[in-house]
Amino acid sequence: MSGAQTMTRPAPTRASTAPDAPIPFGRLLRVEWGKGTDTRASRWLIALTALATVAIMLAPLLAKHSVDQTYDSYLQFSALGLTILLPIVSIMTLTSEWTQRTVLATFTQEPRRARVVSAKVVASGVLALLAVVFGAVVTAAALAIAAAAGRDLGADLDAPNVIGYVLFILANILMGVAIGALLHNTAASIVLFFVVPGVFAVLGAVVKGVGRWVDPSTTFNWMLEGHWSGHGAQLLVSAALWVVLPLALGIVRTMRREIK
Amino acid sequence: MTSTTITAEATITADRLSKSYGGEPVVQDVCFECRPGTITGFLGPNGAGKSTTLRMITGLTRPDRGASTVAGRPFVDLPNPVRVVGTLLDPTAMHNGRTGRTTLRIAARMAGVPDESVDKALFRVGLSSGAGDKRVGNYSLGMRQRLGIAQALLGDPHTLILDEPANGLDPEGIAWMRRLLRDFADRGGTVLLSSHLLHEVQATVDQLVVIAQGAVVASGPMSELLATEAVVVRSPDREALARLLSAAGASFSLNPDGMFTVDISVAGIDRERIARLALDNQVLVTELRQADSTGLEDLFFSLTGQGAAA
Repeated sequence: MSGAQTMTRPAPTRASTAPDAPIPFGRLLRVEWGKGTDTRASRWLIALTALATVAIMLAPLLAKHSVDQTYDSYLQFSALGLTILLPIVSIMTLTSEWTQRTVLATFTQEPRRARVVSAKVVASGVLALLAVVFGAVVTAAALAIAAAAGRDLGADLDAPNVIGYVLFILANILMGVAIGALLHNTAASIVLFFVVPGVFAVLGAVVKGVGRWVDPSTTFNWMLEGHWSGHGAQLLVSAALWVVLPLALGIVRTMRREIK
Repeated sequence: MTSTTITAEATITADRLSKSYGGEPVVQDVCFECRPGTITGFLGPNGAGKSTTLRMITGLTRPDRGASTVAGRPFVDLPNPVRVVGTLLDPTAMHNGRTGRTTLRIAARMAGVPDESVDKALFRVGLSSGAGDKRVGNYSLGMRQRLGIAQALLGDPHTLILDEPANGLDPEGIAWMRRLLRDFADRGGTVLLSSHLLHEVQATVDQLVVIAQGAVVASGPMSELLATEAVVVRSPDREALARLLSAAGASFSLNPDGMFTVDISVAGIDRERIARLALDNQVLVTELRQADSTGLEDLFFSLTGQGAAA
């Protein structure tokens, strides 16, 4: 068995890693995926995310009169469960290297720092897509339980709902990535990530007009609920503000920052 | 080392590297070169600018002026640096929650070397497999240094850049490190290491670059820098010895303990000449040897403010 493995393994690493060959992006991605998921904190958060997603499905299952008994409604609950804690994992993918000072090793291993940040962004995207799949499985299981209990479920899933579900999770994760990329500090990033919606909730009445453009908790929820029409521009603005802008600034900051 | 061609070309160069923080110059016009087969000690008191210089060479800090190269190009232009140069800049800059083995596995994947090399590397630096499975947060500084060395060696580089690698090592650890680096250099590798302790590097390095307040104050082969300019000689008959030395035109001083220190930079005066003078004149000499204190030591002690050992 092991003999067969060594036989089929095509003269590994050495040939592909001549000193003059740049580090392939796929390898950076694998390394960053590993670093993002191999710490105690990230494993706990992923486990708790799974638990929270399962737990939150109890809401539509138990409160059958106050919650719409539809496929879409169940799917939205799983998206909310997934995005409570998982963005912290993506924040930490970007920040823990600074707080633990492993950037010293990382950026001497790959001095093209933007490539490292890109690999972290893509690794977080992979995490988001796995979350999408996990949420769909949990939703399907909950729907099966509801159906087995004899409930009449509205099979209302259409493309805008499903796309909205996927993009909602992706947007939340990438917002965490972007804030982490900019701030380089776990605590500050978590505060910013979770405080922003709270600030808009408190200021609600005053800044409602503005919030419809810049409050991610408002605009991302439209996405989740499939309310696309009329909100396209607002969604793009808030995504630009909370994902594209901090990520771009974060890459610039990362490239310029002195590593001590 | 297999695929590496060793030439006499310098593998590390620093050319007028300069860096200021808030208008305060920390490194000023630092120049030096490191060649294959040699171990260069980058020596200076704490705060002299050693770490800043090493960070500029490894692309972590941008110099205000000047340039540096590793293997012929700026560090940041090396396609896959770990295959060319192993670095250990700060053994405390490791993720405390990862085990030593996981830390190395990440480095191995990045370098593109097989996972099996991780166990070899742990063994090579004397970390048991039990230690490899412990979290780095539980490591002593000496163990972190060993792990850092293992990480630096993983990509099988021909150059090493190490910042204070002996910190936290016990005497046995320092001896081990010395053998490892000597062996690395003897096989054609280039080593640049920093230290704030002269005696720590004295037995390890063959080239020295001494830095103080951001500027290079001395550099060259260890043997030249450590060459003593004086011999000490002792005789029960001090007056006779003094007369002899004066007659020979030597410049000398008599220490309070009765020892004469003779300057041998004066032409015609050396150990053999003194011995001959004593023999010819029947003056009993009970001690005749190179002075312990060297110009470099005096220089270094004056820099570190520890007072001359003379």
